[in-house]
Amino acid sequence: MKLDPRTKLFLAIVANSVILSAPPVYSVLMFAVPAVLLLFEKKWRFVLAFFSVYLASVIGFEYLKTMDAGLALSLFVSTMMIVSHMMPITIVLYYVMMSTKVNEFLAAMARMHVPNKVTIPLAVMARFFPTVFDEARAIGHAMRMRGIRLFSLRTLANPFSILEYRLVPLLVSVTKIGDELSIAAVTRGLSPETKRTCVATVGFRVQDLIVFVYCLLVVVCYVFLGLTGNLLAR
Amino acid sequence: MSNIRTTGKKSSNTLVRDLVNVGIFAALYIVLAFLSSSIGYIPALIIFSTGSIALVTSIPLFLFFSKVERSILSCLIFCGFFGTAMFVMGQGVLMLTISLLVGLLAGVVLKVLGKGFAGLFSANIVLSLMSSSMMLPLWTSTEEYLEYTRTMCDAGYVAKLAELAQSPWPLVAIYAFGILGAVVGGFIARRVMKKHFERIGLAK
Amino acid sequence: MNISLKNVSFSYTDSLDNAVIKDLNLEIRSGECVILAGESGCGKTTISKLINGLIPHYNSGCMAGDVLLGDKNTADMTLAEISRCVGSVFQNPRSQFFNIDTDSEIAFGCENMGVPREEILQRIDDVVKEFRMEHLIGRNIFHLSGGEKQKIACASVAAAGPEIFVLDEPSANLDLKSVADLTEIVGRWKKAGKTVVVVEHRIHYLREIADRICYVKDGRIAHEWTPAELEAKGAEYAASLGLRCVNLEQLSDGVAGAPSSVILSDAQAESIYETSQLVDVVELGSVEQDLSKRPTTELLVFKDLYFAYNRKFPVLNIPMLTLPRGQITAVIGHNGAGKSTLAQVLCGLCGTWRQKRKARKYGAYLIMQDVNHQLFTESVLEEVLLGMRPQNEKTALEILAGLNLEQYAYEHPMALSGGQKQRVAIGSGVSSGRDIVVFDEPTSGLDYRQMLAVSATLQKLASSGKTLLVITHDPEFILNCCSNVIRMEHGKIAEQYPLQGNQDKLIHAMLNV
Repeated sequence: MKLDPRTKLFLAIVANSVILSAPPVYSVLMFAVPAVLLLFEKKWRFVLAFFSVYLASVIGFEYLKTMDAGLALSLFVSTMMIVSHMMPITIVLYYVMMSTKVNEFLAAMARMHVPNKVTIPLAVMARFFPTVFDEARAIGHAMRMRGIRLFSLRTLANPFSILEYRLVPLLVSVTKIGDELSIAAVTRGLSPETKRTCVATVGFRVQDLIVFVYCLLVVVCYVFLGLTGNLLAR
Repeated sequence: MSNIRTTGKKSSNTLVRDLVNVGIFAALYIVLAFLSSSIGYIPALIIFSTGSIALVTSIPLFLFFSKVERSILSCLIFCGFFGTAMFVMGQGVLMLTISLLVGLLAGVVLKVLGKGFAGLFSANIVLSLMSSSMMLPLWTSTEEYLEYTRTMCDAGYVAKLAELAQSPWPLVAIYAFGILGAVVGGFIARRVMKKHFERIGLAK
Repeated sequence: MNISLKNVSFSYTDSLDNAVIKDLNLEIRSGECVILAGESGCGKTTISKLINGLIPHYNSGCMAGDVLLGDKNTADMTLAEISRCVGSVFQNPRSQFFNIDTDSEIAFGCENMGVPREEILQRIDDVVKEFRMEHLIGRNIFHLSGGEKQKIACASVAAAGPEIFVLDEPSANLDLKSVADLTEIVGRWKKAGKTVVVVEHRIHYLREIADRICYVKDGRIAHEWTPAELEAKGAEYAASLGLRCVNLEQLSDGVAGAPSSVILSDAQAESIYETSQLVDVVELGSVEQDLSKRPTTELLVFKDLYFAYNRKFPVLNIPMLTLPRGQITAVIGHNGAGKSTLAQVLCGLCGTWRQKRKARKYGAYLIMQDVNHQLFTESVLEEVLLGMRPQNEKTALEILAGLNLEQYAYEHPMALSGGQKQRVAIGSGVSSGRDIVVFDEPTSGLDYRQMLAVSATLQKLASSGKTLLVITHDPEFILNCCSNVIRMEHGKIAEQYPLQGNQDKLIHAMLNV
């Protein structure tokens, strides 16, 4: 069930906007889509976990909100509310990120005539996330061997030093890699002015249309019912 | 000695260098912002989360600002990424425009004030506005949700929630803490730049 | 396509006063395979940059003279145009790839040139078939080994179909098996009639493919030989020029530049550290130390070194490891044999809680391959003080003196050269008080003289009582300073033997891995 990255983008935008501004009914309608799509991608465990947490927070919220028991509980309840709000967004984003490969995404962007000046940094960014983690982990190891720990006397005396220890080697290393990367790209002809072709294929198929129409329907329902609801209330 | 000439000033290649830097520092910024905003999961500390983001990201941002040649373009694209990410997360076109404006402003400030401490410092503060704005939706959407819950539960509880979210004060505090974080972070970053990066030769 | 450099001078600063390349003239005929050899800093990398266009289009500096590719001047072409004729492969596998998966990476160069999609797919197919890389397509580049990444880099460059290939120390971070793959790749290019220019210290893997070796010194071409001629001149000659041995199989004859265990005096070590003068290594004499005369050495025993990501496939499975105290032991083995995991477990960087806690008390200190990960502070002295408990400035200065770093005590560690950084890291290891120091590939990418310097440092460290474990792919280095060898395979120790008398075994194992 492959969707074109542009459809996924559209799904994400519509779904997240609806989730954030409409009653929960619509949230459920919207996040059902990525849930179903994730099942197609065989991510049963995630979907199961997600639904459990979501149901727990929703039920918890419904049950606890009627109790009027002081500020602490109110804070807790408001946390639950925020969580139940944010969770649908999580599943939408998880689906989009997990099912899209970087080169497909960039190919879709090229189709949308996004300029090279934007796609190049985007590609570099995607490629750099794992590198940042690898470097940070190596630096963490080095710190551990030196005995620099988060809660030792030395770091508590000067709390910003831990920032320095963590960031300075990381930045030096990352800068060096960045320079070498630029050179490797430029000697292979990368230039923002020349037009690039893309090997990955993207294109709209039946499933894109289905998802697209579904999203539109939900939005139309929301707007329509909202309008008529207002009219009725008057 | 025939035709002595200087090399390496061609604009298209420095552009690639700049774009790669934007990508790298954007990746770093996201990771650091995510980690340092984790303290915001404790609701009481939400107000401080933007401050901590601004503080922690000051050091890499200083390095970024000092390395890019085309300030306006780089900052614009850098902030554009976040605005688009916000947009995709459903926050609406408002966030996208705010981010682009912040990026433009930061780039202009950097160009006008140059790459000395004044320029880096001010650009850093401008950028903290963007991370503070990321918290905005939590407020605007909360209010809409409150409208909805008002119909469902009793007024007393809603009033309590409204206390939290209705008044503009927490929002102001968020921006203020963001700026404060950027200021403190700016001073720390300057020390780090002097102590390390200038001596290594990574920054001038 | 012929390459001509006519009266070229270049300097990285604004004037030609301290130029790296001075009035260079070089002609490379189409289809030739040329090695540019020389010591570090001699200017050979700069020459490669002149050919692939980074000078004058990317690196800033000051240039005179002309570089012609075919009959076009590189100054008149854009870098993109030059990249259609010249493909470049660099020495660090991990920072060359722009994409996350192998397919996009191989297609990268073609995509930049705007080649239509079907043709790109055809070219990828051709390249994969030619280099027998079917097992590498469709994979995540981050999961590949260094040698595999370098293969992808070569494929990516080859897919774009340039006439000239420029390789800058491509074997620097590779093990011997990957280097053999590299030999095959360059051989194919030569057979296809391409021009290949390789900048290298390690000449042995190209000795049957290269047409000539140009020795660069002080920005000029001082000597030129064919590989056969250089080999005929003998190993000491090559060593005196700072070149690594030309024929690996000769190493075991003991005819190589230095006998198997040379311990240099302080003065000799110092003259190697300051490599500005040409020092004839052979004159330093061979102080052979008869190992059998040493009193029976203590053994350090480690038990139950075990690590697995999941139960079924242990990455490391060593029931008992014995290291002779105060000596240098080399660990060899192919990629994935578990050498780095062993180092990490010994240093307490991975493993169970119990292993980590034990390692904190009895464990080792690791000098990483990329020393930049280990330098944190603003001065070398601070760096040594950082791991010390209690902090004692006098002791720290003594440690620095022992490593010949006294005059750099107040410099920023990251501003030093690679070899000096390594010694700073060693200094911090010494100050941590641990008795065992593990080195991860300390000599990758170093020329002969630098390798000797590292060897001298390690020997000094060992003679001061520390036990050293060195993970390495460098047979010359092992023969130079190690006294024992451990060969690992699939997470287990396959063999362990003292080096004395077993040199043949070592060379054989390393060449046929």
